[in-house]
Amino acid sequence: MRFDTVIIGGGLAGLTAGITLQEAGRKTVIVSAGQNALHFFSGTFESTEAERERITEFFVRAGIPVHFQDGQRLMPAGTFRPAALSLEDVTLFPQTPVSSKALIVNFSGFHDFFTAFLAEGLEKNGTTCRICTLDLPEMEHLRLSPSEMRSVNIARVMDSCWEKAVADIRVMHKDEDLILLPQVFGLKDASIPGKILAALPARAAFIGTMPPSVPGIRTQMQLKRRYEILGGTFLMGDEVTSAAIHDGVVSSITTRNLDTSRIFGEYFILASGGYFSKGLAATPVQVVEPLFRLDVAFEEDRNGWYRQDFFADQPYMDFGVKTDADLHAVKDGQPLKNLFAVGSILGGTRPDFGSAAGLALRTAFAAADAITTSKPQE
Amino acid sequence: MKRNDYDVIIVGGGITGAGTARDCAMRGLKVLLVERHDIATGATGRNHGLLHSGARYAVTDQESANECIRENMILRRIASHCVDETDGLFITLPEDDLNYQAKFVESCLAAGISAEILDPKEALRMEPSVNPDLIGAVKVPDGSVDPFRLCAANMLDAKLHGAQVLLYTEVTEFIKEGDMVKGIRTFNHQTHQSAEYYAAITVNAAGIWGHHVAEMAGVPIGMYPAKGALLIFAHRVNDVVINRCRKPANADILVPGDTVCVIGTTSTKIPFEECDNVRVTPDEVNLLIEEGAKLAPALASTRILRAYAGVRPLVSADNDPTGRNISRGIVCLDHETRDGVKGFISITGGKLMTYRLMAEMATDLVCRKLHVDKACETATLPLPGSERKSFKEVAEQIWENPTTAQKATAGRLGTGAARIKDTSPLGQSLICECEEVSVGEIDAAIQRLDVSNLVDLRRRTRVGMGTCQGELCGCRAAGLLARAHGCTERARADLKDFMTERWKGMYPIGWGDALREAEYTQWVYKHVLGV
Repeated sequence: MRFDTVIIGGGLAGLTAGITLQEAGRKTVIVSAGQNALHFFSGTFESTEAERERITEFFVRAGIPVHFQDGQRLMPAGTFRPAALSLEDVTLFPQTPVSSKALIVNFSGFHDFFTAFLAEGLEKNGTTCRICTLDLPEMEHLRLSPSEMRSVNIARVMDSCWEKAVADIRVMHKDEDLILLPQVFGLKDASIPGKILAALPARAAFIGTMPPSVPGIRTQMQLKRRYEILGGTFLMGDEVTSAAIHDGVVSSITTRNLDTSRIFGEYFILASGGYFSKGLAATPVQVVEPLFRLDVAFEEDRNGWYRQDFFADQPYMDFGVKTDADLHAVKDGQPLKNLFAVGSILGGTRPDFGSAAGLALRTAFAAADAITTSKPQE
Repeated sequence: MKRNDYDVIIVGGGITGAGTARDCAMRGLKVLLVERHDIATGATGRNHGLLHSGARYAVTDQESANECIRENMILRRIASHCVDETDGLFITLPEDDLNYQAKFVESCLAAGISAEILDPKEALRMEPSVNPDLIGAVKVPDGSVDPFRLCAANMLDAKLHGAQVLLYTEVTEFIKEGDMVKGIRTFNHQTHQSAEYYAAITVNAAGIWGHHVAEMAGVPIGMYPAKGALLIFAHRVNDVVINRCRKPANADILVPGDTVCVIGTTSTKIPFEECDNVRVTPDEVNLLIEEGAKLAPALASTRILRAYAGVRPLVSADNDPTGRNISRGIVCLDHETRDGVKGFISITGGKLMTYRLMAEMATDLVCRKLHVDKACETATLPLPGSERKSFKEVAEQIWENPTTAQKATAGRLGTGAARIKDTSPLGQSLICECEEVSVGEIDAAIQRLDVSNLVDLRRRTRVGMGTCQGELCGCRAAGLLARAHGCTERARADLKDFMTERWKGMYPIGWGDALREAEYTQWVYKHVLGV
């Protein structure tokens, strides 16, 4: 198999690079192991001040309406955090108090939506809260198994009976000017959250739950669909097993599912993520990039990898694959001419691209741009 | 008697204090136990959880070995819901001296410990994870014991017999009249209130901290803080305790416990100032993995869950710098005859295995002083939860068709599981998926077992002890605590403490899958949940 560009990793960075290249008429393949950080995406991107327009248009073309707005978002633990780029159904609050009275609605037995924390956070900021629980007969089968009441399972039920939930909430609602709901709506159909907002008797907002994130999974599915509509080849549930490098140029890779047949490419983009996604691997003595054995920037002394405070910024998160200025991955001190490293595999090595989502989007654009503007190699 | 008057005050809420409180209360005394943190926060909860057969001490210390095997058999009866009767192997590896085996078996038998020499192949069949290079094996009646559960059950039974338990209550001063200890002044770290309590006898059962408690009362005990580091692996690699058949050394015991296994330990002298905050060093971690893999080679490639360390409350006997040759023997000091200070005794030395015997010795001394003539019954009367033997039997008694989660609950609580009344789907829904802990079980622990925060809750229910180390259940359990205590702000601060406490044991082994889990957890808590 031969492609213009072979992309390793199907998360936000890999999909962004793939879509951008397909939009430019390139033939690409994405090899994706499965779950990625998008499944925990809270619906809001931080630190994406740069390239606002390009990012917004990118999402809108994929059928994912987003808005750039300065404001605070209400976090699941009841705290407020600044937000910039958000999915359309994520409500941002320009100031506190966000309302005078809020109704917080949960499904009975759903422990992954923290109503008490939300109420406390809001009340501290001047909003009186009331907590109500919904008990729909359609959820009974979930309750039979003690571990089934999780966000995605509820969302599957809600895809077909969200209107009943709305009807019940309308009965519960008294004089509150804000209704808070868990993000368990619109797993398959992205239009449902908007319909719920329109049908409720007061302004409403969807607040995050414990992962997996329903809007995150939906976003991932929409990006993947967009990529495939553009003609991209998405190899789901596959894993790259080896890579061939000759004279500083990557020529091909093999994957577990394709067995011995190789995937050849003119360019390669490594978007395999951080530790969780196995893009980086830590041993007791070093941090390595397991596939290409690229150079990784990390601290030699393991004592320096961590801070004792769990909530402090952890140095190990800043470790990442070394690149040159144009994101060419470095191996044995030399940049590989046709391999770009993008997204969280870079850790904190490229602060110029912002953090997390900003890093994924902007490095993916940069790599795709470099590929589309360069002359084909002969 | 006035409200704050007791027959006996016990300082320390570890297993020794809890056992002593139970024994004293069962003999009809009016008992107060004070503990500056939670139950089982010191050495009680920071060891292997090994139900010693005594074989480990047979060659070097017959007295300790004999105490162990007697208490071993007693705990199987009185604390069956805390004990897993796994048996143990003492293996000889090619680099060990096989001649030691004969001496070992002879010493075991002399101490009353059954010791059966197995063919190495038979040992491999009995425990497939054991190092296949072994050249000798001896089977002994080792087992594993859950020290948190054991401590909680003793504390609960003490209370059922009328004892009063004050947690988060620190002794700040002894009230003395001449050469007589009359009581204690305390400070409660939760209410920030001071108080005075009086008793005829005060028992110092504060483990390594007993050194300072005794100092406060004006008597010196030369104690010796010896740090022991351990690692928890994410799987139950072995089903049988594996020891090395040689003189006791570092990292030569591998104990299965619930869904995990534990390798340990090291022995390092530390200054008293470090006892409150012991940390595991990279050197200790490396040594534990290297030596552990010799017992069970699979450990070299098994995910590590966390590292932790405890401080043995040893009483200095000689100048041995390693601390290994100090007797693990029990030290029961009557400070009236030893130091001329009346109304004060110390019970220390010893180990988890012999807590009941230590409690009996201390209580006997208290009773002699108070002229109470009632025999000790703790060796025969089962602890709450252990009235029946098998957890399957217990589960089937309570539920018609017990689920795996209900069996897990019965395993943790024994017959006490019957108290979990909430059998609705909500009550049965799981908070901790790794350890299968339900809403009902957590609610019961909050109501009955003095839970003030998430770390306390973990000690009593195993919430957050599994593979995810609290990542999923921390928030959920915090929600239940917030509801029970009616204070969300406290629950939020508590959740932060809980995650930081979990992290303390994770970063010393922060690589591989443990770091993957940590990256995910830190990402979720900071950026997704906004804690």
